[in-house]
Amino acid sequence: MIHGAAENFAENVGSAVGSTAALGIGGISFVILGVLAVIVAAFLVTRRFPVNAAVLLILDFILLAAMYGLMDAHFAAVAQIVVYAGAIMIVFVFVIMLLNLPPEELRYGHVTIGESALVIVSLLVAGMLGTDIGRGAISAALQNYSVPAGKQPYFVEEENVRNVSALLFTDYVWAFELVGVLLMIGLIGAVVIAKKRAEHAESA
Amino acid sequence: MLSQPELGVYFGLLLFLIGILGVMCRKNIIFMMLALELLLNGANLVFVSASRLTGTIDGQVVMFFVMAVAACEAAIGLALLIALYRRRGTIEADDLKLLRG
Repeated sequence: MIHGAAENFAENVGSAVGSTAALGIGGISFVILGVLAVIVAAFLVTRRFPVNAAVLLILDFILLAAMYGLMDAHFAAVAQIVVYAGAIMIVFVFVIMLLNLPPEELRYGHVTIGESALVIVSLLVAGMLGTDIGRGAISAALQNYSVPAGKQPYFVEEENVRNVSALLFTDYVWAFELVGVLLMIGLIGAVVIAKKRAEHAESA
Repeated sequence: MLSQPELGVYFGLLLFLIGILGVMCRKNIIFMMLALELLLNGANLVFVSASRLTGTIDGQVVMFFVMAVAACEAAIGLALLIALYRRRGTIEADDLKLLRG
């Protein structure tokens, strides 16, 4: 049923998915990349040193960028590499090296009973999402591949970046401007917070 | 067999769960923030997959906004981390129980 809907959708929109009925080479590499991303993420949260975890997170971002590229989200793929793997992770690595934590600071901590109960409940909910019950209850709107306020792309046959920019600078232009203000406030706030004040510099 | 964007939804779900586990189980604030980035990336993967699934572009635009907010959050959070380490000499969440009394 899902295949049929996806194929109808692909015919309607006119985008050649090429991997709905049987996973082609794109689908196989998508699965490999996804499994690798999950394995790398599991390695990431169990590392002892933050630098190793940061490098693994960069690897994870690149794997995710490849997955975005396979889903024809080219703008998302390039922005993922430039913004996440480039800018944000550089800040992380810089702060990790600036702090230069001694090894006895790097403890694992312990999990309380309430936290483990939350983990078990979240795993159960996640398992439910894969079943027909969870699918029917949660992704009923996605089942016929339509969202209530969703509209067709402006340029149906054009490439992805043009569609994203057309949507970003027309429908989402105020959100875009507000994101610019947010980034500037974040920059100023980061400078003010991390600045070494005179009175604290004397006491420290 | 699931189609490619549906597989993307499940991979995003798994990444989100691993991120939640990392935030909850690690007590080092750097690791908590790294796991938080992983969590946001799981959500981003679901956004892009849903955008692919529904044939709309809105999911990718929202993913761009999430990315900008994540950059802002990383900058402010790491600045707070530096200020905290300078004042208290530790970044373990268990050692920072001033507010807990």
